Formats: sequence, C-alpha cells, structure tokens
Amino acid sequence: MKEAVLQLRNVTKTIGRRTIVSDLSFDIPAGEVFGFLGPNGAGKTTTIRMIVGLISMTKGEITVKGVSVRKQFEQAMTHIGAIVENPEMYKFLTGYQNLVHFARRHSGVTKQRIDEVVQLLGLQNRIHEKVKRYSLGMRQRLGVAQAILHKPSVLILDEPTNGLDPAGIRELRDYLRKLTQEEGLSVIVSSHLLSEMELMCDRVAIIQGGKLIDVRSLQEAKHSMQTKIIVESSDIESAHRLLSGAFNHQGVTLAGDRIEITADRSLIPDIARLLVKAGLDVYGIHASQQSLEDQFLEITGGEMVV
Amino acid sequence: MSSLGNLIRNENMKIYRRPRTWLMVGFLVLALGLMSGLMKWDESRSSGGDWKASLTQQNSHYQTQLAESKDMDSDYKEYLTKEIKINEYYLANDMNPHALSLWDYVNSSAALVMLITILTVIVAADMIAAEFTWGTIKLLLVGPASRSKIMLSKYISTMTFALLLLLLSFVLAFAAGAVLQGFDGLSLPHLNVGADGVVHESSMVVNSLQKYGYAVISLLMYVTLAFMISAAFRSSSMAIAFSLLFMLVGNTVTMLLSGYEWSKYLLFANIDLTQYLPGNSPLRPEMTLGFSITMLIAYYVVFQLIAWTLFTKRDVAG
Repeated sequence: MKEAVLQLRNVTKTIGRRTIVSDLSFDIPAGEVFGFLGPNGAGKTTTIRMIVGLISMTKGEITVKGVSVRKQFEQAMTHIGAIVENPEMYKFLTGYQNLVHFARRHSGVTKQRIDEVVQLLGLQNRIHEKVKRYSLGMRQRLGVAQAILHKPSVLILDEPTNGLDPAGIRELRDYLRKLTQEEGLSVIVSSHLLSEMELMCDRVAIIQGGKLIDVRSLQEAKHSMQTKIIVESSDIESAHRLLSGAFNHQGVTLAGDRIEITADRSLIPDIARLLVKAGLDVYGIHASQQSLEDQFLEITGGEMVV
Repeated sequence: MSSLGNLIRNENMKIYRRPRTWLMVGFLVLALGLMSGLMKWDESRSSGGDWKASLTQQNSHYQTQLAESKDMDSDYKEYLTKEIKINEYYLANDMNPHALSLWDYVNSSAALVMLITILTVIVAADMIAAEFTWGTIKLLLVGPASRSKIMLSKYISTMTFALLLLLLSFVLAFAAGAVLQGFDGLSLPHLNVGADGVVHESSMVVNSLQKYGYAVISLLMYVTLAFMISAAFRSSSMAIAFSLLFMLVGNTVTMLLSGYEWSKYLLFANIDLTQYLPGNSPLRPEMTLGFSITMLIAYYVVFQLIAWTLFTKRDVAG
C-alpha cells in the first residue's frame, strides 16, 4: 500500500439526533483516483464537506498529509484543491480575474503558473471574458483550474458531472486523467453515477446510510476476469450436460434457453472446442463482465436511488 | 497560508469590479453637485441688502425676546445670548456671516454622510450574504485562510469603502466651494462662545471634521449592524432589505418609545451623539454622553461577536 495522503478516522457527524455520517474510517493512497459512491443522501457530500472544513465534525479526525484539518486548518488546506458541487465563480469578473482571486490566497502562485494552468485546461482563448458568458462546461474547467493552481496533493470533486452533458463529462474525465498523470495528484470524486465512476476511478468506497460498506479496487476487478460466460446453443440440454461434466458442475447453470458459467475468461476457447467437437450448433459464447452497477446493487441490497 | 493583505485585495477587487459600486459613487458625486449648485443658486437669490443692518435687526429681535418672555427654557436663553454675542463679534470685526465661503460647502456636505452610510450599508449587507447567494462561499472558504481572517478582510474592505466615500465627499465639497466661492474664505474662523462667556475663534477645518466625526460614529454602528445581518442571512436581498429597514425605521420607532425608561438602552437612542451638543437635548433627560458612548461600545462588541460566531461556527451545507 502506498503512503496515504488523506486519512479519515472515526469521522462522525450528527445533527440533532440524526446521524448523517457514522464512524467513517479509511485511507486514500497517493496518486489514485478514488471514488465515493452511494445513493443520494448517503453522506457523500457531508463527508467531502467535512474534509474541506465547510462542515464541522462531531467526532473523529481527518488528516491531509498528516496535517489535521480540525487543528491546523490553514496548513491542511494548502494541500487541497476542491470543487464542491458546481463551481460557482464570480460572474462579474473575467475568468482570469477569478483565477487571480484564488491564486492570491496561496503563497507562491506566480503569473506563469496561472498561464500554465490556463493552457493545460485549454481556456486561453476566452480567459479574459466575463464568466457570465461561459458555458457550464467552461465553468467546470475554470473550477478545475482554480483547484489546481497551487499544485495541491489532493483534488476533491463533489458531484463534478452534475449538469454536464455527455461531451462535458467526457471532457472532464480526460482532464482528470491528464492531471493525475501530468501533475501527479490524487483525486477524490463523489458521484451517484455508477458508469462514470467505473470509467474514472481506480478504487471506490461505497457509502450507504452514512456508513462505509466497502472499499474495492476497480483495477483488481478488471484483472481477475472472473466473468459470467453465456453460451447459446441449439441443443441446450445436451450442451448443459456436456459442460457440467467437463467443469465439475462448478458454476454451470441452465438459465432458460442459455447456459451461464461463472469462470475465468481463459476458459472460453475450451468451451467452444468442446461444444464443436460434440457436434453441437453454437450460436454464441460471450463473456459479460459483472459491472460495478451489479456489484453495487448487490452490496447495497438494491436500494439505489439514481 | 493566505496573508491578510491579499485577502483584502481580493475583497476590494470584488467591490470595485462591480458596476454597482461605481453607480453608487456616481450617485454621491451627483448629490454633491446638486447640493453645491443649490447653495450657490440660493445665495445669488438672497444676496444683496445690507448684512450689517440685518444682523443688528436680528440682535434687537433676540433681545426683545429675552426681555419679554420670563418663563423661557434656560437652554434656549443661553443659546440666544450666545447668538447675540457672536453677531456682535461679526459686526465688530466686519465679517459677513451670510456670504458663502468654501467651508459652508464642506459643512453642508457632512449631511451627505447619511447617504454614504446608506451606500456603505448596502455594500456591507452584501459582503457575506452575496457569497452565499452566488454560491461562491464554498470556494472562498475552501482555502488556506481561516474564516476569521476572511471575515476580517471583508470588514476592513467595507470600512475602506466607507472611508473612500467620506474622503471623496469632503474633497469634492471643498473643490466645489473653491470653484464657486474662491479661496477667500479659507482662513475664516469658526466662532463659538466658550464657558467663560467670551467669543473664541477656532479653525474651520476642525469644525468641519467634527461634523463629519459625529456622522461617522453612526456610520460605523449602522455598517457593523448591516455586516452582522449579512452574516445571519444567507440571501443578499434579505440582508440589504433588513439593514435598510433597521436604519430607516429605527429612529422613528425609538422616538415613539422615548416615553419608556428602557428606551434609552436602544441602539438608536444613543447613535446620534449630537444630541449632547449645546442647544440640543438628549432623548431622555437622564442620558449622558458617557452613557451613550458606553452603550455604543457595548453594541459594537455584541454585533462583532454575533457576526463572528455566525460566520465561523455555522456549517455551510446545501
């Protein structure tokens, strides 16, 4: 495990008698895109706002590179760049003036650095226009620019895809990849959009009802290749008998007019050979990787509110 | 970590890059121009005639008033006696008090501090609440600056804005006076009757600054109140509406309540310190200058504490 940039220890938030986030503890390793997944109202936004100090913690401790957010807020924030929900900018200022505004808060952000970030996000053509004339996608980019000006170690994005069209979402995803590679930062993204998280994240934490349910690596899931292989054949009964015998009944089930086998992808050629040798007509063999959505629904017991 | 200086520069940028601010400045300049023009026009209409004769006439009128009414208020009696002495001094030294000097423009402009107060109250009420309305509060707070520091930078910027308007008003009124009347009256003294019953000459600049000073004390209180309201309400229109409402209705309501003893503890009963100047009487007879100053300091501290608590302790959600 790589060094943790961000650590949450027993983080709890209660408002009145209601517990919104309960006893959350996990580490976020350096250089990863880490996803926060959960249905609406699961406590994702509350957790993120506690990390950036917008909401106070009732109990627990959050540290950024070992610096406590609660005790040394100013110092901790030098390591963090964030966009909480839609990046609202000062509309009466130009994009550049907005960046100057946020740059002034940090020591050591030079004019060159501002220009560099503007280039990186492809804003150079319209940076001197007033923000009120920007599209949502451009504002999103300006928001990212603002968040990375001071070269933070952690970039936090709360629901960054809200209100963006598919092209905008794709654009954002590309920028995030570029940033993790070129600036070497860790990214924390929260979302309720599973497909998006699947494409963006190395690892996801699944949160429900303010509790951490699971942290899983999406990379591992891709590498392990435990998939569901679906076989369609003309004589489904004989095919089923044949395959059950060949693979010791391990995970071979007959589902209507097709056979489902839970196994490694590398078995597919063997299955095909076996069926053809036995003289059975094969209409199709395909592997369906279990999606994050399936896993998510499995874990949260199908209580998905998207 | 953010330096306070940079935070103040940010707040200033947000004030002066807004067209609204320049509209306000324009409005103040317009009001000053209008005032000066009216004063000049009024002078040209009423000038002429023998000022010495009219002063003598005025004095004899005062004297008959003093002689005839025996049950006169002692304050008023004192006032008339002083007026007579000052008029005699004018006559003896051949100084025409009715001729406008550039100081008259500056002194009249002190009345415009009320307008400056209203403009600054609007800016102050917007200072924190607008960040919530715009949604920029999240980005503003997520940075290496504590909330106390951000609040302080906002307060300092607001006060700097007020100071700028005050300077502008003073300088423009002086300039208008200089253009319309010339510099002849520059060294004209301000006359007042001291405790020893003798007429004294004092500097006009000091007198003008004093007039501004009283108005600035109420400006400070109203603006701090508006700043607190801005921290309490998270919508700028609500904050502006409430601040202006307090400011415009507060005095009237306090007047209506002046029959009750506890009314002396109200902010608006103490905010105008000119009530302790000779010739004026305070809202309630038992009130003293020391009492009012103590009350104002207490209110100021309470406003700052409430604003600070609301701004630094509350969660920013939604």
